[in-house]
Amino acid sequence: MIHPVTATEPMRTPALQADGICKAFVSGHQRTQVLDGLTLNIDAGELTLISGPSGCGKSTLLAVLSGLQKVDSGRVQALGSELGQLDLRALERFRLQHTGFVFQGFNLFPALSAFEQVELPLNHMGLSRDEARRRARSSLEEVGLAHRMRLRPSELSGGEKQRVAIARALAKEPELLFADEPTSALDAANGQMIIDILHRIARTHGTTVLCVSHDPRLVVHADRVLAMEDGRILSDQRPHASLIDNKEIPS
Amino acid sequence: MVALARKTLIYEWRRFLPAMLAVGFAGLLQLLQIALVLGIFGSTSLYITGSSADVWIGYPGTQSVGSGRTIDADVESHVLMDPAVQRVEPYIWIDGDWRGPTETGGVSVFVSGIDPRPDGLMFSKALAPDLRTRLAEPGAVVVDRSVLDQLGVDIGHTATINGHQVRVVGISSGLRALGGVNVLCSLDTARQLNDDPTDSGPTYLVAKLRDPTQADAVAARLRGDTAFGPYTTWSASDFASISVRYWLFDTGAGAGVLFLAGIVFLVGAVITSQTLIAAVNGSVREYATLNALGVGVGALRKVVLEQAFWVGALGLLGASALGILLMMLARSQDVPVVLNLPAALACIILVMGLAAVSGLAAMRALRRADPATLLR
Ligand SMILES: Nc1ncnc2c1ncn2[C@@H]1O[C@H](COP(=O)(O)OP(=O)(O)O)[C@@H](O)[C@H]1O
Ligand SMILES: [Mg+2]
Repeated sequence: MIHPVTATEPMRTPALQADGICKAFVSGHQRTQVLDGLTLNIDAGELTLISGPSGCGKSTLLAVLSGLQKVDSGRVQALGSELGQLDLRALERFRLQHTGFVFQGFNLFPALSAFEQVELPLNHMGLSRDEARRRARSSLEEVGLAHRMRLRPSELSGGEKQRVAIARALAKEPELLFADEPTSALDAANGQMIIDILHRIARTHGTTVLCVSHDPRLVVHADRVLAMEDGRILSDQRPHASLIDNKEIPS
Repeated sequence: MVALARKTLIYEWRRFLPAMLAVGFAGLLQLLQIALVLGIFGSTSLYITGSSADVWIGYPGTQSVGSGRTIDADVESHVLMDPAVQRVEPYIWIDGDWRGPTETGGVSVFVSGIDPRPDGLMFSKALAPDLRTRLAEPGAVVVDRSVLDQLGVDIGHTATINGHQVRVVGISSGLRALGGVNVLCSLDTARQLNDDPTDSGPTYLVAKLRDPTQADAVAARLRGDTAFGPYTTWSASDFASISVRYWLFDTGAGAGVLFLAGIVFLVGAVITSQTLIAAVNGSVREYATLNALGVGVGALRKVVLEQAFWVGALGLLGASALGILLMMLARSQDVPVVLNLPAALACIILVMGLAAVSGLAAMRALRRADPATLLR
């Protein structure tokens, strides 16, 4: 399913839509307004990077857009579903069918081989055993771990572990792939490889990849970069597109 | 299906070991406790279960074999008139004071006077036929192998009971008593050993029926008559359970068993659940990741429960192996241990119940597996 997307394609419906979303955390007497009336569209089939300083609300935004957290007010639409309307079970089902996640920590089960880590979530998708195994194998091949499939996390390097985590998300063949600081536990070379893989997934599978990072080195690899500060989007840029397309959002 | 529960259990066995040990020891403790209690208190009904009588006739209100009083000897002919009764035989129980040839001091003995004929009913299952016929000789007694030291005798030795001389003509096994020592002799010898001239009749009459399945009905039928002084009847199985129940509950032993079972369950469940909770906490980020990917909380709970099940099963396996070994050791040392099916089932239920409760407790720890916490 090769689905090349250019920045100027006119008839694109957003994969993710956030409309005036607000989110605050209350701890004790203190109330932190993390997201304050944020509106945003994420286009399908490209790698969008949300960058910004630590604590500005990037992860919270990701959690809200992926349905892991509820908003206080505003609406979130993912693939046309209104996430606020779904209950816990329905959200789980939505995530099972449509989303993949890559986190800063690799979160791999110590007891399972790379192959089993990838196969495990597929078991719960109602796939046949053969289909699950076929997908697990091809995903691991795609992230360049064909020869490391039988190894446990303790026998893999950090970069390899993150690639297993990506393969685990990728094997589900999700429309939406969320990544939170996927490179911050890795050195430069491995971080580079991870972002390349994420970018390639967006291009070759048409997956909507939303990546959140404070790492400025990733900016050049993204189709679109949203700069965030204090719960607001400051700028919206397409590094590789013509200058006309870049517009500053007034704050 | 990737067997997450089992693979984790094997890979991180060190982490689960305390739980398996706790479950295993809880099971073993329970098993041995039940086996000992059954063995010890089972010996209080040995007089009944070791004999082939179907109906027992004794003094009304008797709560255990050892606390009987004499009944009128004429009851025998009355019982024999019932067409269902095939044979009747007296059984004499006397409490005696044993003086051995060596310095053992006085030993309290339970003298059982039985019919020494080869086809006698009393102790027909517990006493070898050749030993039984040797009892016909006046003053002959048989004692149990386990009490030889206590009585200070061996085969062929003489001693006195209540001041009358007796001679050990044979040694039996498996005839241990609770709170005293069993001494077997013939009815005639028993009458001679009895110091109390007021009780002339037998302590019990035991009857064999033509049809053993009629025991309850015949016992009920024989109960009505009062022409021969006070007596009552029981089917053998009723009398055996009355006797065991008396010892279990009126001595407080039963309450002790239940109390210890409760403690064992509690301690086992605390250790096991804490271990399982620690295991869940150790993998909570991985569980949360699975949930983020859409694997339902129900499926994750099943993983935890399955781990609890395996911990229970492995603990049970260890407990059984060790338990069988210890029971064999106990048997070889004449320690009375008995395990029957209900008792074994009770142990299995206790252990698996313990594992299940611990698994349910550990499932609560999954609430911390919230995928939102992975995004920070
Ligand atoms: N569960 C929470 N409870 C309280 N405060 C939170 C919680 N999650 C995030 N915050 C606060 O919200 C702000 C934004 O957090 P986050 O979205 O993780 O920022 P970023 O990912 O950009 O570093 C921080 O000040 C953080 O302390
Ligand atoms: Mg963050």
